[in-house]
Amino acid sequence: MTTDTAGSVSPVQPHRGRPIGLLLVAVPVLMVVWLIIWPIISAVITTLWVKTPEGDIFSIETYRFFFSDGYSLSNLGMTLWTTGVCAILLLVVCLPIALYLRFADSRIAAYVQGLAIFPMFVPSIILSFAFIRVLGPNGTVDLVLNAVGMPKIRSPYLTPWGPVIGLVWDNIPLTVLILLSGLGSVSNQAIEAARDVGAGKIAVLWHIILPRISNSILVAISFAVLGIFSAFTLPYVLGPAAPEMMGPFMQRTFRELFEPQTAITQAVVTFAFCIVFGLFYVYSVAKNRAP
Amino acid sequence: MSVLNIKDVSKIFPGGTRAVDTFSLDVADGELVCLLGPSGSGKSTLLRMVGGFETPTSGQMTIDGDDITHVPPERRPTGMVFQSHALWTHMNVFKNLAFGLKLRKVAPAEIKRRVEAVLELVGLGGYGTRAVTQLSGGQQQRVALARSLVLEPKILLLDEPFASLDQHLRERLREEVRDIQQRLKITTLFVTHGQDEALSMADRIVVMRDGKTEQIDRPDIVYREPRTPFVAGFIGTMNLIEGTVANGVFSKAGYSTPVPVADGPATQAIRPEALELTLATDNAQGKVHRVTDFGTHGLVDLELLDSTRIKAMVSHPGLFQPGQGVALAPKAIAAYRDDILIHRGALTPEIAARRETIDA
Amino acid sequence: MSTLVRRRTDWTGITFAVVLTLVIVLPLLVVGTWAFTNVWRYPSLIPQEFGLRFWNQTLARADVWSSISMSLTLAVTVTVLSAVICLPAAYAFARMEFPGRSILFFSFLAGHAFPKFGLLVAIAGIFLQLNLIGTFWGVVLIQLVGTLLFMIWIPVAAFQAVDRRMEEAARDVGATPMRVFWSITLPQAGPTIAAAILLSFVGTFYETEGAWLIGAPQVRTLPVLMISFINNQPVIQYGAVLSVLLWVPSFIALMFARKVVNSGSFARGFGG
Repeated sequence: MTTDTAGSVSPVQPHRGRPIGLLLVAVPVLMVVWLIIWPIISAVITTLWVKTPEGDIFSIETYRFFFSDGYSLSNLGMTLWTTGVCAILLLVVCLPIALYLRFADSRIAAYVQGLAIFPMFVPSIILSFAFIRVLGPNGTVDLVLNAVGMPKIRSPYLTPWGPVIGLVWDNIPLTVLILLSGLGSVSNQAIEAARDVGAGKIAVLWHIILPRISNSILVAISFAVLGIFSAFTLPYVLGPAAPEMMGPFMQRTFRELFEPQTAITQAVVTFAFCIVFGLFYVYSVAKNRAP
Repeated sequence: MSVLNIKDVSKIFPGGTRAVDTFSLDVADGELVCLLGPSGSGKSTLLRMVGGFETPTSGQMTIDGDDITHVPPERRPTGMVFQSHALWTHMNVFKNLAFGLKLRKVAPAEIKRRVEAVLELVGLGGYGTRAVTQLSGGQQQRVALARSLVLEPKILLLDEPFASLDQHLRERLREEVRDIQQRLKITTLFVTHGQDEALSMADRIVVMRDGKTEQIDRPDIVYREPRTPFVAGFIGTMNLIEGTVANGVFSKAGYSTPVPVADGPATQAIRPEALELTLATDNAQGKVHRVTDFGTHGLVDLELLDSTRIKAMVSHPGLFQPGQGVALAPKAIAAYRDDILIHRGALTPEIAARRETIDA
Repeated sequence: MSTLVRRRTDWTGITFAVVLTLVIVLPLLVVGTWAFTNVWRYPSLIPQEFGLRFWNQTLARADVWSSISMSLTLAVTVTVLSAVICLPAAYAFARMEFPGRSILFFSFLAGHAFPKFGLLVAIAGIFLQLNLIGTFWGVVLIQLVGTLLFMIWIPVAAFQAVDRRMEEAARDVGATPMRVFWSITLPQAGPTIAAAILLSFVGTFYETEGAWLIGAPQVRTLPVLMISFINNQPVIQYGAVLSVLLWVPSFIALMFARKVVNSGSFARGFGG
């Protein structure tokens, strides 16, 4: 945090602000309660207390169904696989970019940074369309390969790798920004001191830089996992029809099969799988930010 | 032509800190009064109460007889210059100055005339179209001063306005502000923690400590006749020697002077320039520790027999060498007991004469 | 001089630049090319015929116009509502003291502790009982929730960055608290707040998942129409033209928001 936003600001006239302050924040806070906190509580309650003619009874039947249904389980497995692969790929791609940006100071670096942040401004639906045009059947890659006399690729479109490529592309900007922000706390002096006592580049990376940004790496991964685990648009458009990721699965259950109860059960399952990442992410953000 | 009266004002912050404690002060028309004290002495809080940015817990403040204690800042006839200049960076110099006039519905032509006149006064004629971020620190502080002056406030308030400037610039601005203040004859309250600033600018100095007044007097009197050991130690350099008085003689480790007060512990205060040294071998009262030559004068650090350190100003530092024994002959001393002045004396004729003109 | 202190060629940088250009810019260029193509048959490397024919055809479609106006109405409604309820709250968080200030401030993070689409499904469960599924206001509400966090957090930082003394100086020269807010606080915090409002507009304009889950098929925004084009429309150019149309606000946002994003404050807002 920069000093101008961090730290507590002493209020001007506390005795006057009390009721007015609460009044001003009331509407957004009530919206959070009504549209975030209540739906979550309600989701857990409605899936555990099942309506029967004799009244509501406690039952874990919906969850038992989810975890015994082969199709649900394969969707869950597919989601876990995609999330894991994406997280690893994101680190492999973004860490070198962030390291380069932290220590480079040229016009090329400014260009690279601009490109790395660029996907943030490209809606995932346009990305999906571009993906199909480039990597899809008879896409640009096929055109180029054909032009140089090589066979067509096996298109990742409608395979599990489709969503992976799209999700990595989509998550590059924030991952790079979060890592870069973490690298900002590694001072040049700390690195120069290490070089001074004879550490090589690899040693500096391993012993000086990585320990300092380990927290940022965890934050970046948590953020990516939260976004990818229940991603909808990219898997829906680019992924295979079956098994599908949890996002499209929930949507289909809710809107096409008209089984809201089942869909909400699936939602609670995604909550459960992400809760550790979610809490860690929220904790990290809150820690960095004093109101 | 305005008079500021502060009567028994106290400020207790929500945490229970008593920042200002039953403080009273009357500032005469056209007078420049400095509030001087270490940080946390309550001087800034007091100034902010006069400006209307803090509400006193108790007490009363009036300007020309009108009670302003609970008047909001925008309706007070006060103008404040902030330490960080607080210029509005989204407006240029002219707009910064014109904003207050516009709020008062002054005609545009009149605004232009008055803003240009004030810019001229602070030595920034023709700077109106500049962005405030383009100005140097000194220029920004001048604009801040001009912003207050253009509204012709009854009371001008300055909150450590030079604190962020370098020494050289500070001295120059100090003189400029004093000149402008004298020319406009504007009643001014000035907060500083620098004794130089207070001594060189003020008509009167209020020395504050823990929200209370230690002394209110003219600069020369505060300097020469500090009423408490705190004031003595805070303004200028002062040797404070803790000792005891017995039979009208103050003594401390071989050093003694006659002080006509009752027996008991006492603190003796001597300015370095009021302490004369002579080389002595047999009846030495102290030993030279170090000699510093400042060109115009020298400063001798010496130790009393029990290693108490004191300083003396000498005109010929070459006469003294470390290790030499010296005898001490104070020309003017003061004695305190329980933080109260109990004696001032042994004045030389010339200081005594000056004292009379001061009192006249 | 320059020959003496000549820099080493930044090969790492050039490699990154080339690879990222290929991976990030090229796909978008391909889409842009398709939008201005009349005929492009396999296996030609470049289109056989450039032209604006499909712009005319796309813009002649009623569903395109209705979804454009739907997206704009939605984005404007959500942005205005969000600004109206969030900016005063942000000011209160930045400048006032009231019981529970910290906990309420952090409550806006609640939505970020859960996977987004799962949360949307949970909300949809509530909306089902309220008959909000498939309605305009249902979509407005879902988008509004999405804007809350940064429409509060970014302006709070902006208000807090305004020097308190500047406001006091304005009071000192005679401005009422209301006037101080309009003439000093708001202009000082203005650029950052404008960026937040812009992000809220663009974010709503592009938002696909909530609109698809809650709104479709009755409430058809541009991204929702785009999904059905990708799924069912054999004419590639329709999607390409629509992408270019969709992307215009994005590009404006890129220009305006660049300062905010590059300053790093944005990343910190996301926990970096």
